Amino acid sequence: MDVTEKSAPIRIDVKDLRKSFGAFAALDGVSFTVQPGELLALLGPSGSGKTTLLRAIAGLSPAEQGTIHFNDEDATTLSLRERRVGFVFQHYALFRHMTVFDNIAFGLRVRPRRERPAESEITQRARRLLEFVQLGGLEKRFPAQLSGGQRQRVALARALAIEPNLLLLDEPFGALDAKVRKELRAWLKDVHRETGLTTLFVTHDQEEALELADRVVIMRNGRIEQIGTPSEVYEEPATPFVCEFLGNVSKFDCTIRDGEAEVAGSLFPVGEENGLNGPGVAYVRPHEFEIVIDEHGEGLPATVKSVRPFGPTVSVELVLAGRDGPIEIAVPRELIGLGDVQPHRVVHIRATAARIFAAG
Amino acid sequence: MQFISTSPRLANVSEPLTVRFLLLGLTLVYLLAMLVLPLGVIFVEAFRKGYETYAASLLTDDSIAAIQLTLLVAAIAVPANVVFGLAASWSIAKYDFKGKSFLITLIDLPFSVSPVVAGLIYVLMFGAQGYLGPYLQAHHIQIIFAVPGIVLATIFVTFPFVARQLIPLMQAQGSDDEEAALSLGASGLRTFFSVTLPNVRWALLYGVLLCNARAMGEFGAVSIVSGHIRGKTNTMPLHVEILYNEYNFVAAFAVASLLAFLALVTLGLKSALEWRYGGELAVSRGH
Repeated sequence: MDVTEKSAPIRIDVKDLRKSFGAFAALDGVSFTVQPGELLALLGPSGSGKTTLLRAIAGLSPAEQGTIHFNDEDATTLSLRERRVGFVFQHYALFRHMTVFDNIAFGLRVRPRRERPAESEITQRARRLLEFVQLGGLEKRFPAQLSGGQRQRVALARALAIEPNLLLLDEPFGALDAKVRKELRAWLKDVHRETGLTTLFVTHDQEEALELADRVVIMRNGRIEQIGTPSEVYEEPATPFVCEFLGNVSKFDCTIRDGEAEVAGSLFPVGEENGLNGPGVAYVRPHEFEIVIDEHGEGLPATVKSVRPFGPTVSVELVLAGRDGPIEIAVPRELIGLGDVQPHRVVHIRATAARIFAAG
Repeated sequence: MQFISTSPRLANVSEPLTVRFLLLGLTLVYLLAMLVLPLGVIFVEAFRKGYETYAASLLTDDSIAAIQLTLLVAAIAVPANVVFGLAASWSIAKYDFKGKSFLITLIDLPFSVSPVVAGLIYVLMFGAQGYLGPYLQAHHIQIIFAVPGIVLATIFVTFPFVARQLIPLMQAQGSDDEEAALSLGASGLRTFFSVTLPNVRWALLYGVLLCNARAMGEFGAVSIVSGHIRGKTNTMPLHVEILYNEYNFVAAFAVASLLAFLALVTLGLKSALEWRYGGELAVSRGH
């Protein structure tokens, strides 16, 4: 469906953006490139600068230093209007005294007379957008009469109406309940595919970022920790922070000796950049453990705390001697059938993979 | 004044029925004695000598002049305070700057200063013996004992009304809507008229109503700067006082009845607004 003029999607080059609020550096030298037509997630905890970055790209609150290019055009000093950015706000920011239809038509009606389409064309385009966001028939409603998910769709249709150069979404699903979030996620992916727009969205939900985005920018304290495809950042996290933030890992202290470290009963090589000797931290994901059935007690002894047999793998909580808090591992279903893994039993586990970094 | 209905409490934590009736009865008697009866008396006294005397006393030259002056003063003071109120609440709600809470306190000043003091300030500034007196006299500009002084004093007394209604509402609404409009390509002016103003329209109207009622009814500050020149610098409240002091009770109550009628209309419109747009107004009634 043709909802925007299919001009070629643009590339965004961000170079060394800096912005501070008082003594707090919200953006501390951020540089990256968004490829034309890419769906990019800005992921990070609150206060990491992801929303500040999005607003700087939109021109809503300019950065103090650094440059932003749209293709080869310097957009750094362009005004909000000139940038022509479709921006979707976390709390929708729909105009409450206007109908759904008037909200969507707003961006077309406020154009200078020379560029403004005829009213009949505005009507036609707004109708088409309404169909596109699956809200046909609701044009006479007011925002207060819509559900959260519907409001978000109106906000998106309104942003698309101005035929934006790029689409920016600030925590687009942040204010919605879990079920609607899931639906809208899939839908946003469709919208991105059909419009072909270069799209950036901010989220603090790692699952959302990894599921939706072509690439993920992980931010912390106003800096970029890592940029990569979802599998890159998940499989090869660049820093301990990325490991922990992407979630669901067990952290172990270890000692690196001669370029190797022992983690949870196994010996792993350590990359040279982390030093050949010294204290280290290791991260192991739940599916990177195995339970050793061998009677001779290889691996780490652990007491089974609970077994949750939901989903394709079984999640087992284990308590290790000398360690605060249980660890979680995921094991194949078949293993449970053997009857060894039951609460209060002692089993032996071993890590099959680990990411090891120099400590500190 | 507004009565807020609360959900009924559980019977076992509620006061006995007699206590409730007693409290309710006390409130009603008090309101009746202190508000309703005096208000009724105004109308009774005004019409004591019949409709024709009532009309005649309203249609004297001095009374008409007073009514005209009151309307003129309100017609200047209210728009001035709408502009000021919008500007002040916009800057307070949408920008961050040092001394913001001081500015908010300052806006409340006329609520806490006696209107008489407000009047005296203007006499001290613009009066014949005041700081600017010699300059004004040299240029034949009269402010005190003239219409400009009355307008200034009225603006001073009424300026919190609009701002106080708008500030909390604008603060609660934030700037997202404006940013959205701007990002969609609207100009600043267009954004203000299509987005900001409609967002606060009912609170603004509410503020205008209160501001207008006070502007027309103001006595203290205006009394100091007016000089009580009949037919020239007498507003309706001042005119009532003069008539009363001359023992012209029917005329005094006739003019007073107009003011009372204005108050009733204001009250009615205010209640209508609250009833219809209660949700939007609730935010701004934090004080």
